[in-house]
Amino acid sequence: MPRRRDDYEDDVEEDDEYDGVDEEDDEADGYDDGGKVKRKRTTSDFIYDEAEEDEDEEEDDDDEDYGGGGGARRRGGGKRHKGASNFFDLEAQVDSDEEEEEEEGDDDFIDPGADIPDEDDRRMHRRPLLPREDEQEDVEEIERRIQERYARSLNVEYDDEATDVEQQALLPSVRDPKLWMVKCAIGREREVAVCLMQKCIDRGPELQIRSAVALDHLKNFIYIEADKEAHVKEAIKGMRNIFTGKIMLVPIKEMTDVLSVESKAIDISRDTWVRLKIGTYKGDLAKVVDVDNVRQRATVKVIPRVDLQALSNKLEGREVPKKKAFTPPARFMNIDEARELHIRVERRRDPATGDYFEKIEGMMFKDGFLYKNVSLKSLSTQNVQPTFDELEKFRQPGETGDGDMSSLSTLFANRKKGHFMKGDRVIVVKGDLRNLKGWVEKVEEDTVHIKPNEKGLPKTLAISDKDLCKYFEPGNHVKVVSGATEGATGMVVSVEGHVVNLVSDTTKELIRVFADNVVESSEVTSGVTKIGDYELHDLVVLDDNSFGVIIRVESEAFQVLKGVPERPDVALARLREIKYKVDKKIFAKDRFKNTLSVKDVVKILDGPCRGKQGPVEHIYKGVLFIYDRHHLEHAGFICVKSDSCMMVGGSRANGERNGNSLTSKFSHLRTPPRVPPSPMRPPRGGHGGHNNFGGRGGGRGHDALIGATVKIRLGHYKGCKGRVKDVKGSTVRIELESQMKVVAVDRSHISDNVNVTPSRETSRYGMGSETPMHPSRTPLHPYMTPMRDSGVTPYHDGMRTPMRDRAWNPYTPMSPPRDNWEDGNPGSWATSPQYQPGSPPSRAYEAPTPGSGWTNTPSNNYNEAGTPRDSGSAYANAPSPYLPSTPGGQPPMTPSSAYLPGTPGGQPMTPGSGGLDMMSPVVGADSEGPWFLPDILVNVRRPGDDTTPGVIREVLPDGSSKIALGSSGNGDVVTVLPNEIEVVPPRKLDKIKIMGGAHRGATGKLIGIDGTDGIVKVDDTLDVKILDMVSLAKLVQA
Amino acid sequence: MVNQGGGAVAVAQIPTSFGHELRACLRCRLVKTYDQFRESGCENCPFFQMEDDHERVVDCTTPNFTGLISVMDPTRSWAARWLRIGKFAPGCYTLAVSEALNPDLQNICEEEHVPYVLPKRV
Repeated sequence: MPRRRDDYEDDVEEDDEYDGVDEEDDEADGYDDGGKVKRKRTTSDFIYDEAEEDEDEEEDDDDEDYGGGGGARRRGGGKRHKGASNFFDLEAQVDSDEEEEEEEGDDDFIDPGADIPDEDDRRMHRRPLLPREDEQEDVEEIERRIQERYARSLNVEYDDEATDVEQQALLPSVRDPKLWMVKCAIGREREVAVCLMQKCIDRGPELQIRSAVALDHLKNFIYIEADKEAHVKEAIKGMRNIFTGKIMLVPIKEMTDVLSVESKAIDISRDTWVRLKIGTYKGDLAKVVDVDNVRQRATVKVIPRVDLQALSNKLEGREVPKKKAFTPPARFMNIDEARELHIRVERRRDPATGDYFEKIEGMMFKDGFLYKNVSLKSLSTQNVQPTFDELEKFRQPGETGDGDMSSLSTLFANRKKGHFMKGDRVIVVKGDLRNLKGWVEKVEEDTVHIKPNEKGLPKTLAISDKDLCKYFEPGNHVKVVSGATEGATGMVVSVEGHVVNLVSDTTKELIRVFADNVVESSEVTSGVTKIGDYELHDLVVLDDNSFGVIIRVESEAFQVLKGVPERPDVALARLREIKYKVDKKIFAKDRFKNTLSVKDVVKILDGPCRGKQGPVEHIYKGVLFIYDRHHLEHAGFICVKSDSCMMVGGSRANGERNGNSLTSKFSHLRTPPRVPPSPMRPPRGGHGGHNNFGGRGGGRGHDALIGATVKIRLGHYKGCKGRVKDVKGSTVRIELESQMKVVAVDRSHISDNVNVTPSRETSRYGMGSETPMHPSRTPLHPYMTPMRDSGVTPYHDGMRTPMRDRAWNPYTPMSPPRDNWEDGNPGSWATSPQYQPGSPPSRAYEAPTPGSGWTNTPSNNYNEAGTPRDSGSAYANAPSPYLPSTPGGQPPMTPSSAYLPGTPGGQPMTPGSGGLDMMSPVVGADSEGPWFLPDILVNVRRPGDDTTPGVIREVLPDGSSKIALGSSGNGDVVTVLPNEIEVVPPRKLDKIKIMGGAHRGATGKLIGIDGTDGIVKVDDTLDVKILDMVSLAKLVQA
Repeated sequence: MVNQGGGAVAVAQIPTSFGHELRACLRCRLVKTYDQFRESGCENCPFFQMEDDHERVVDCTTPNFTGLISVMDPTRSWAARWLRIGKFAPGCYTLAVSEALNPDLQNICEEEHVPYVLPKRV
C-alpha cells in the first residue's frame, strides 16, 4: 500500500488498522477531509473483503518492515489525532449502522477480522515506546475507540466460533516473547504468578516480563513470558517461592501447548450424574443433589458402602480391625438393621430443604441413599456413562419414567457432536411440546429442527437438542452406538420411556439401553463376541483361579458366569483379569458314574435348576456348564456340579451313539460305525446301520448306550471294546470288536468312554467309522462356529432356519425332475442323486436299492430327530422336503457313505446328493479331508521319496491311513498322512470303490468314462450310475 | 485499559488470595476474589455492574476455571494475544473457564458491542 502511505502519511497507522476491517481503500480519500465526507459503504464492499485479504497480509508485512519506524508513525498519529478522532466517531456510527450487514457478509468467507486482533496487538506493542505524556487523553480516546471497534469485529469473529485457522494467525513467531519455565515451590504456582504480577505493578516497567502462567496440572513449575532470560532472572530475583536455579526455554513449537488447557465442559449442577474420584466411593456413580459453588462443594447421593457391623463395633468401643483393602459392597442403608445393631440413628430435618434424614455417625441417609458432602474437585463429570444397572439402582421405587427422564436429560449433556441426524425420530422431553414426536429435519449447533408428527403444527419446529431424545418403536432395528453394549445390533422389542429394550442379534439377549444411545440401523453386526483371545461362551480361568463361562462380551469386559454350582455368580472380568482359556477335553462323571463329556445332554437332578436339561458345554473341575436354551438367565448357561446331573441320551462324544445326540441327525450321513474292520457290516450294507436305525426305529433309542462304543472294564472280557447292541436292565449286550460275537456284560462293567485308551485318542469319533465320522462331525463345527462368530448360535431357534436353508437349498432345484421321473419310487430317486440326464433310469427302480430297504425307517428317524431335547432337530427337520421322496432310511445310509468325498472334488460332482450337499460347506472349507476308504489304490507321495503305489488298508481316526505299499498291496504297511496320499484314478473296466456321494463305500466296475464322469456299475445293486471320476478310486481287494 | 494518568496503564485488581475464593469473570476471564468482584466489579466488563448487584457476581463469574496467567503487559505478550486477552487490562486471568455466560448476560454483551466467546467445548 505504498500509495496510500504516501497520500496519507498521517493516517498510516489508522489506515492500516482499518484496512484490516473495512478495506475501504477507495473511500480513503474521504478521510482526508477530517472524516466529514459521508462514507458510502455498501455491502458490496464486503464482497471485496475476501479478495483483499491478500492485500491485507501484504500490509501486515509492511507493518513489520516498518517496525523500526513505529515510534515515528506513532508520533504522527498523535499529531493528527483530532482528525482521527472525528473519523472514529463517524466510523463508529457507520459501523453500528451496518453492523448487521457486516456480520452477514463475514459469515460467508474468511473473516477479515481474523487478522485484526493481531494487527491491533502489534500496533499496541509499539505504543509503549512512545512518549505518552503529551497526548494522553486523545490517544486514550483513540485507543478506546479502536478497541471498541475491533471488539465489534472480534465479536463477529467469535460468533463464527474462532476456528483453528484464525487461531493459527496468532501462533508465536520468533519476534514474540518466549516462554521460560521456572521452578517454584509445589502448590505455590498460582501464588507465585500472582506475586509476580504484584511485583510488576510495584516496580513498574523496569520488569520486562510479559506474563506468568501457572497451570493447574503442572506442579512445581510456572512459565514466565519474556524476551530475554535476563528479564526472567530479574523478575524472579528475591521471590520467595521461586527457585532461581534453572530457567528453561520452551521451544517455540511447544508454546501453544502450554496455554492449551481443556476447560471442563460440563459443570456440576443438580441432578448431574457424576462419579466420585477418591475414597471409599471411588468410581461410584453419584447424583448431585446440591451444589455450593462458593464453597466448591456438592452434596451427592450415593449408594452407601457402610459396614454396619464394623460401625457398631466401633461405636461400642470394640476393636476395629483395620482392613483398609476391604471396601464394603454398595447396598442401600437399612435403618432397621442399623438399629438392631444398636447404632444410634437420629432423625433430622434439613432446615434448607425440609427433608428428613437419618443420621448415623455423622452420615446422612435418606431412602437408603447416603447423602454425602464432597468437594467439587473430587467429582468427575467426564465420561460418567452410567450403566443401566447403576441407574436402575438409583431409581426410586416410586419414581416413574418421568422422574427418570429429568435425570436422563442430564445425561444428554454427554452427547457427542452430531448426535442427531436428519431423519432421526425424536421425542420432545421438556417444555410445552413434551411428548411431541417428530423427525429431525435439520440440525444446527444446539438447535434441532424437527418435523412434528402432529397435524396443525408448523412445518418445522426448532427445539433445543437438550429437550430432545431419540425415539424408537418396537420393531425398529437398531444399533447401539455408545455405552457398554456399544456395537450391538438388535430389534427393539419394547420401549419404556427412554429406555429401549432390544434383542441382540448376537446373543438373543435382551439389552436395555437408553434410546439416546441407539441409532436406527439395518446393519446386523455380531456385536462384540470376542476380545483378545476370548470369545463368547469360552471357558476361562480368571486371576483368582476361579473359572467360568463368558456369557456376555461387553465393550471392555466380559461377563463371566462363575463356576460356582451353589448359586449363579456372575462376575465382570476385564481382559487382563483373565488368565487363560480352557480348551482341553475334560470329562466328569454324572451321579451314576456315567462319563460325561462336552455335548452330552444331561438333566439336572438337584439344586436350583433342578429339572433343567441341556447339552454340556464345558466341564472343569467337576463342574459342568450346561446350556439350556429355555434358561433365560446367564445366556442359557447353568453351572452345576457334575454329580448333580444325570446323563440323558447318549454321550455325544462317542460317535456311534445315535441316541438323540446332536450327531444323530448326521448319523445317517456316515457309514455305520466300525464298518471297515467288521466284515459283518459292509460299508453300505444295511446291517451295520441297522443297529443304529433299528435301534431308533424300535424306540430303544432312549437308551443312550445303544450303539455306543464301550470298553469293558471288568470281567472276562475286560479290556475288550465293542458296540452296545442292546440294554436290558443292568445287562448290556455288546458286540465285541475283536471277536465278532455278542456278549452280555453287566452295565457297571463297562466304561462308555473308549477314548480313555491312549491308543484310541480320537476313537470317540468311532473307530471304524472314523472316516465317515469326521465329515459327519464336521458339520458340527460350522454348526458351532456361528454360535461364536456371528452369533448364530445354532441352539437359538431363530438361527436354524437360515442354516437349514443354506444346507438344503441345493435340493430344491432337484425336486421337479424327481417328480417327473420317479413318481412311483421316491426311494430309488433318493438313492441316486447321480441320476443325471443320461443315466439309465431303469436301474433306479430296482428293488434292492438300499433306499427302498429303508423305506420304513424314515419316520422313526424323523421323529427321533424331532424330539425337542435334540438340540439339532433343526437338521433333522431340514431334510424333510427331501425325505418324503427319500425314504428316510436312505439318507441315513447312503449319504453316510456318500458323504465322504474322497477328494475335495467330490463335492461338485454330486449336485443332487443330499448328504453331500448338506455337508458341502464342510467339504469345501475343511482341510480335514480327503476321506479315504480302505482297499483303494493310491499313490503315496512322501517328501523325498518318489511316488509309490499302495493300497489303503485302514483309515485311522486322525485321518491318516495305513497303507500297504505296492500296487497290489503286498508290501510294507506304512502310516501315511492324508495329504501324502493321492487316489489313483481308475481306468475303464477297473474295479472301483466309490469314495464320495450317496454310494460312498460301494464297489463297482467302471464301465465307461465320459469326460469327468465315470459310468459305474454298482456291484450290489447292479445299478449303473454316473459318478464324478474324482469320487472313484481303483479297488484293490486284499 | 484505562489510563490513570501518569503513564501507568490501569491494572486490574490483583487477587488478594489464592485459594477457593477465586473466581473468574466469564467474559474476560479476569481472576479475582469474590469480594473483589463484589466490591469493584470487573475492570474489563464494567457493563456487568457487578459492584451494584451482588447477585451478578455469581452469574458473571465462576469458581471453575483452569490455570492462571498474570499478564503484566497484555499488548506485548504473546500469551495474552494467544488467549485473546491482549486487549484487557493487565492483571491475573485464567486460561479457560468452563461455563458460558447465561443468555441474558450474553445479550448485555451484545448490546454493549463487546465480544463474547463461548468457552470451547471439549
